[in-house]
Amino acid sequence: MLLGIDVGGTHTDAVALEERGGCMETAASCKVPTDHDDLLGSVTAALREVLRDVDPARAVALNLSTTLSTNAIVEGKVEDVGVLVSAGPGIDPHLFMPCRHFYALDGYVDHRGNEVRALRGGQVREAVEACRKDGVRVFAAVGKFSTRHPRHERVMRNALCAVDGDEPCEAADFVTMGHELGGTLNFPRRVATAYYNCAVWRVFNEFAEAVKRSLDDLGLGHVRVNVLKADGGTMPLAESRRMPVQSIFSGPAASVMGIVALCDIVHDSVILDIGGTTTDIAVFADGAPLVEREGIDIGSLPTLVRALKVRSIGMGGDSAISVLADEVRVGPNRLGPSACHGGERPTLTDALNWVGESEVGDVEASRHALRDYAASHTMPAEVLAGRAVEYASRTIHRETRALVDEINAKPVYTIHELLEGKQVVPRKIYLMGGPAESMRGPLFERFKLSVEVPSDYAVANAIGAALTRTTWDLELFADTERNVMFIPSLSYRENIPSNYGLEQARRDAVNQLSMHLDAMGVKLDKDEAQITHASSFNMVKGFDMVGRNIRVRCQVRPGVTHRMGRV
Amino acid sequence: MLKADKSLGIIFFPAFDWAISPTHPEREERLLYTQDQLREEGIFDIEGIDEYKPSVASVEDVERVHFCFPDVPSVATRSHMVSAGGAIRAAELVMSGEKERAFAMVRPPGHHAMKVVHGSRGFCNINIEAVMLEHIRARHGRKRVAIVDTDCHHGDGTQDVYWHDPDTLFISMHQDGRTLYPGSGFPEELGGPWARGRNLNIPLPPGTSDEGFLAVMERVVMPILEDFGADLVINSAGQDNHFSDPITNMNLSAQGYARMNEMLAPDIAVLEGGYAIQGALPYVNLGLCLAMSGMDYSGVREPDFTPDSVHQEKRITEYIDRLCDVMPELYFNPPAFDGSEKAREGVISAGWFVRHKDIYYDVDNISEAQTEMVRECPDCRGTVRVETRSTNNPLCLGVEVPADACDACRDEGYRILEEAQLKGGFRYIQFINRRDDEVVRHGF
Ligand SMILES: [Zn+2]
Ligand SMILES: [Zn+2]
Repeated sequence: MLLGIDVGGTHTDAVALEERGGCMETAASCKVPTDHDDLLGSVTAALREVLRDVDPARAVALNLSTTLSTNAIVEGKVEDVGVLVSAGPGIDPHLFMPCRHFYALDGYVDHRGNEVRALRGGQVREAVEACRKDGVRVFAAVGKFSTRHPRHERVMRNALCAVDGDEPCEAADFVTMGHELGGTLNFPRRVATAYYNCAVWRVFNEFAEAVKRSLDDLGLGHVRVNVLKADGGTMPLAESRRMPVQSIFSGPAASVMGIVALCDIVHDSVILDIGGTTTDIAVFADGAPLVEREGIDIGSLPTLVRALKVRSIGMGGDSAISVLADEVRVGPNRLGPSACHGGERPTLTDALNWVGESEVGDVEASRHALRDYAASHTMPAEVLAGRAVEYASRTIHRETRALVDEINAKPVYTIHELLEGKQVVPRKIYLMGGPAESMRGPLFERFKLSVEVPSDYAVANAIGAALTRTTWDLELFADTERNVMFIPSLSYRENIPSNYGLEQARRDAVNQLSMHLDAMGVKLDKDEAQITHASSFNMVKGFDMVGRNIRVRCQVRPGVTHRMGRV
Repeated sequence: MLKADKSLGIIFFPAFDWAISPTHPEREERLLYTQDQLREEGIFDIEGIDEYKPSVASVEDVERVHFCFPDVPSVATRSHMVSAGGAIRAAELVMSGEKERAFAMVRPPGHHAMKVVHGSRGFCNINIEAVMLEHIRARHGRKRVAIVDTDCHHGDGTQDVYWHDPDTLFISMHQDGRTLYPGSGFPEELGGPWARGRNLNIPLPPGTSDEGFLAVMERVVMPILEDFGADLVINSAGQDNHFSDPITNMNLSAQGYARMNEMLAPDIAVLEGGYAIQGALPYVNLGLCLAMSGMDYSGVREPDFTPDSVHQEKRITEYIDRLCDVMPELYFNPPAFDGSEKAREGVISAGWFVRHKDIYYDVDNISEAQTEMVRECPDCRGTVRVETRSTNNPLCLGVEVPADACDACRDEGYRILEEAQLKGGFRYIQFINRRDDEVVRHGF
């Protein structure tokens, strides 16, 4: 039995899924209100309720999606971080300093991973001392091009904390080294990501600790716990305690993975999750969700956190209807609940009630509110309702088109990609969320594409959470002139012979990926490891080839472990 | 979050699957470290700076500029079409107002490709700046354009394409042709009889550094640009003047390049050469991107930069000083065209300007002999007629009716075409009527 919990903005959803004849079925599900001041309480309450009908002993895994880290950042409930960077020449690093305790140190590693200038010991010690004096306990150590050679980050770490690995250290509770965040090149994003990882580290770890204790209390001490990531995958709890930043914005990922579990998506498709205040739009190419090219923005800072490409627009069931001059609009503001739920201003949900697409809440209240509002703008109520629904579907359609265009306009780097480059052409729409059923007709009118609304869409997020598989990715970088191979996210460095080639690099990448997952307790099916990038460039000095510069990126594709049975 | 002062579109097409040969300087690796550097700096996260996909130039785009023999696909690979398309995309971004400036960081380069193309010269097959510029003119009408070529090699191809065009000011700063390929680019090369002073060459001695280049910018290039009053300024941004470039002998630094670009403030920059792919290109390109977007580039330094690496000898400073005194005169008061029999520049005979050229295509080992004729006309730029043969192709003919052609010149163009078809003798004929946008190919 698999458990899934999605802590959302309004509700915390939980499901218990049982396998029957190769397919998963919902054994129990529930929704409890989310208490933002007590997320653990919400999780525990949801678990208690869902376990009323099933046997806790049968549960093997719990996948958890939580807004904890996101909220901590958005609400500024983070702790002070000491950020040490070695930037070398280029854009002044002070232009993107994320916090007060920021120290740009003299030192320079170039794009091949050569140390051009070493760090100055005295300067490092001074920075560390200054942080300590202010009581800073968590640190980010980030170097430019540290993904090619992490020496400077190691030096900084050693200056901060004399012990190895996870042993407790007197001077620092936690240190994030930039290269552990992955192989992607982008120094400002690496700085921001390492900063956030430290800033939420304590609050996330206290939560993780508490969840563990709650599970013991509920008789679920034996259960494997995974935490959802924004890229549509999970990570084991132990991993998440080291990389809490990866748990941000996992909500949209849970709902997208829910659709994947509930529907058999094979074509280029669009997923629309129409919630109360927003609609999340995601795009699939050949049945696979698309991810952000570099990473997601948190607050005002772009990061390296991999995330599904999801665009949120201010258009949901509770979006208020307004009339400007002669134009009827919906959203982007939410001015209270829909009239059918006791609000005053009519909303999209009320309009859908009027046009007969749905019967949500008190339909008569919807009609009443629409009539009043229409009258105040000297407009027949049916015109107001009709135009509101039309406006909503038009907006969703336009934004979806814009997103697809943006994806298709992404830069390419080879002739092959450019001339034979794939264009995403959506053939199907999948709808979920509160107003999903009632928006089916209007959206079909707009898109002229088949629209599917899966059953169980009300708790699809939790189902998505429960069934999301563990993902991981790594980048391998080899330089045969310098005889070194390096995998930044694993801090793995190996000497290689001069004849090391692309094929070997591919094999090594897959092997290292599965070994790492193995160490995390996850069995990797070899087919699930996917090489997403592989290149080898001859390096030439004068007119002689002196070596090869090899880059391989390898990932476990985001996906679900099981599909839901057809109901 | 950082915000650019001037919005900048970057078209990055490193052609990671195209090379002249595995160890040739113009190979796949060339823009690899530039890409690494720009990504690592987070350039594309700066508000106002965006990366765009290149367009693909069409055969028509190329034929607007070149006579390609036997035809465009035989001399230009798909990579060339994408590279030129990258330049076109840059131009479109600026012309449409989507971006204030654009930088096409593309390869292969193009400034050695001349009006007639039989193959590859100096790693260039088609002139990507010219293809871009004529694309602009075909869409947006006649424009006064200044192209400033800061590649270390003389932009002999661009010079040849615009030799007779008074609307295009071409200024090439380069290492003295007596010491470097292609061996041309001297001050006396001033443009055809009806475009005198529109072609300016500033040959600089080996060893010229930031100081010398900036002096030339300040005292020669900028006053001339000011006077010319271009609608559009284009920088042929070759980067082989760098002190670490393996195939040249100049001493310009990334700071010097950025400063030049800042002074020039081009609407569009197009990458040309530059073969110090590890130690120079990443830094020069970063400097250019920052300079073009009006951002601070003072922190950009090469790893092997020392004051010594850009030291300029006193005698070079003195030489450049004298050059700066005399160069502006060539634009403001160009000497009259010497059309006498002994002039190498060509003669005027029976109402036609005529000159003979022998051209060597070093990459493809092709020799070409051509006779170029331009009709002397008081009303327009004059129809162009080129007879050419090479070790690759038998006798071929190119005819071009310019965009501003008068009726007489247009009729003359059609008369030449008809006569050539009737009399035969030409293996291939390419005719382009820019005035009415008509293209005729014959002999395929
Ligand atoms: Zn050059
Ligand atoms: Zn004429």
